[in-house]
Amino acid sequence: MSAEKIVSFSDVYKTYRRPGLLRTFEAPALDGLSLELERGEIAGLLGLNGAGKTTIMKLMTGLLFPDAGSISVFGLPPSGMAAKNRIGFLPELPYFHPSATASEALAYYAGLSGLNGPAARARIDAVIGKVGLLPHAGKRVSEFSKGMMQRLGVAQAVVHDPELLILDEPVSGLDPLAIHEIRDLISEFNGAGKTVFLSSHSISELEKLSGRVFIMVKGRLAKTIARAQWESTPGGLEEIFVGTVRAAA
Amino acid sequence: MRHFISAWKIGGHSLRENYKNKFFSLFIIFAGVLIYASLLAGVMAVDEEARMLTDTGLALMELMTLAYSVLAAASAITREIETKTIYLVFSRPVSRPAYLAGKAGGLYAAAALMLGVMALLHLSLIYSRGFTPPPFYLKAVFFIWCKILMISSVTLFVSLFTTSTFSAVSIAGILWILGHFTSEAKFLIARSSGAAALALSAGAYLTPNFQLFNARDLGAAAPPPAAPGFLAAYLLVWMAAPYLFSLALFRKKEF
Amino acid sequence: MKKYAYLLLPAAAASALALSGPPAFLAASHPFPPPDRIREVGRSASGDALALSLGFRRLAADVWFIRLMQYYGAPPEMDGSSGPEPEFGGGTYPDFLPIARHILALDPYFTNAGLYASASLAFNLSRPAEAVSLLNEALLYHPREWRYVTLLAAIGYSKASDPAKVARLIMPLIMEPDCPVMLRQLAAFLNKKAGNYRAASLIYKTILETTRDQFYIDNARKELARLEGMQR
Repeated sequence: MSAEKIVSFSDVYKTYRRPGLLRTFEAPALDGLSLELERGEIAGLLGLNGAGKTTIMKLMTGLLFPDAGSISVFGLPPSGMAAKNRIGFLPELPYFHPSATASEALAYYAGLSGLNGPAARARIDAVIGKVGLLPHAGKRVSEFSKGMMQRLGVAQAVVHDPELLILDEPVSGLDPLAIHEIRDLISEFNGAGKTVFLSSHSISELEKLSGRVFIMVKGRLAKTIARAQWESTPGGLEEIFVGTVRAAA
Repeated sequence: MRHFISAWKIGGHSLRENYKNKFFSLFIIFAGVLIYASLLAGVMAVDEEARMLTDTGLALMELMTLAYSVLAAASAITREIETKTIYLVFSRPVSRPAYLAGKAGGLYAAAALMLGVMALLHLSLIYSRGFTPPPFYLKAVFFIWCKILMISSVTLFVSLFTTSTFSAVSIAGILWILGHFTSEAKFLIARSSGAAALALSAGAYLTPNFQLFNARDLGAAAPPPAAPGFLAAYLLVWMAAPYLFSLALFRKKEF
Repeated sequence: MKKYAYLLLPAAAASALALSGPPAFLAASHPFPPPDRIREVGRSASGDALALSLGFRRLAADVWFIRLMQYYGAPPEMDGSSGPEPEFGGGTYPDFLPIARHILALDPYFTNAGLYASASLAFNLSRPAEAVSLLNEALLYHPREWRYVTLLAAIGYSKASDPAKVARLIMPLIMEPDCPVMLRQLAAFLNKKAGNYRAASLIYKTILETTRDQFYIDNARKELARLEGMQR
């Protein structure tokens, strides 16, 4: 029996438009993209800069709207409240208001996700501990290192216990220990039955975490690879990725 | 109910963001220093010292709150877009109307807080000099806040389509000045004719009339410019209309 | 049509703005003189424009009142003739009336400035016609200000050289807590001239209690000592 499809992109087009003085500048981002995510999987997204990875994630979270095609998240429009209730999003290089403490920032976003009262407090404390920020909970975000900021980003993405976690470059710029801890966190989250969709420039990270990887080239889904495929290929995922990109060029 | 709660949380967060902002404190401290420095002008006014202290203090309070509120409103949403903190908001079940309402509410509350603290500083000066505040004092402070509500609402809307914070602040400054020029505009219109008169009239009708809320200048003796009910309705229109225009611009904004 | 349904509320808001604009502009009374009544004094045009554009009429009037007091407190302009120094508050101050007019054009509700300037013109500078014209202009925008009317009557009686009557007329004015000290000084002087030394003493004592102007304090002390001698 095939797993439930919780995210579906069907022939999606997206072009960025920037108004100029006498004309509008267009930059195509997605070109007829179709992909699906299954419940409970960890799926990775791989591509060069400008391939459309962040665009896909923003479309999934309702931050962008498609020009054509359809997108559904849990069978719902991604810009609707019902879908957003069930997802957690970590953008690339998350930023928090510098004067807030980690606890305050997390409490704010937890509140926006509908968590209130003592249950919210307990959940926030648990998540802060889980991401390794307990000693820094009362510190201002302006004093945080990049790694701590990233952990806080993960914390805000999981604080409301979403069913789908969308992570854009979750280990970008982190030291090996932090990468290891984030990876464990993602695995733990997936182990609880949650679905994870992450993008990364780090092929090794995707190899370690993902069950499937989507390779994007110039706004198109060039290839979908399952773990078994890259494990049986000499050179692994990197070899497949480089070959796919060169073939598409 | 959910939307109201979201708006409330965003408003509370916006208020906290504002009063934790070092510029918020700096503006209040600067205003306090200037208010106390106006002692010199008060002494020069001899027996009109009470009036001089009151007028200078109220004027400084208004200018400082205006400057801060316009800057804050011009950058409230654009800064969140630039720093991408807005991603963390709209990837959650937060509606755009709730977000805008919360942001505006936070700005209004921050202005009220700033005015309140400055008023306390001002009153401390007045009492320390052995005077009592004039009977129109509270009304003057309240109406300053009403003017700030209007200009903040408009600036928030303008910030959604201007290219920079500077241009939003400039537009707000121009509107502030035009909005105080009501009788002067009437004078000009009476002396104009044809297309010029029409253009001036249209501009005057569509500019927020801050003179209506200038209780600080009217004092106790001048007759009120309009009935309280009309003033309340006018204020509501000038808060609601920019909000609704902002909503029309913001509903399909992409991040 | 459904595609444009979101524009309904903003369109309603725009209509509300357009409908509220004309009444707010046309029907609302603006209780200040029009700009053509603000005549330039010195190089006041830019300062006045700034004051009007920021809604700071009262503050501008305050600043001009300080300037008036400084102007009046400076030595009077000499018209080239040699002669005795002018009496208390007297002298040639050609800009006194224009500055006073300027203050009231900016803030016609600055009653104390109007009273101070009119009383100075009428009783110290011996220019009652200018004082009357100033008061009449002030009454245009502040017709209910009884103190202006009282002072007008007092000026009228002063022309008839009846100090006792003038003193009685302006008594209600000087009972006001924020009465200009100059008027109290005048009332004390008139009572003294009419022989009402007790009333004059009371007024000088009130001056000592209420004013911060050292000139009037010193003068009141001097007069009180003189009156004590007269009353013994």
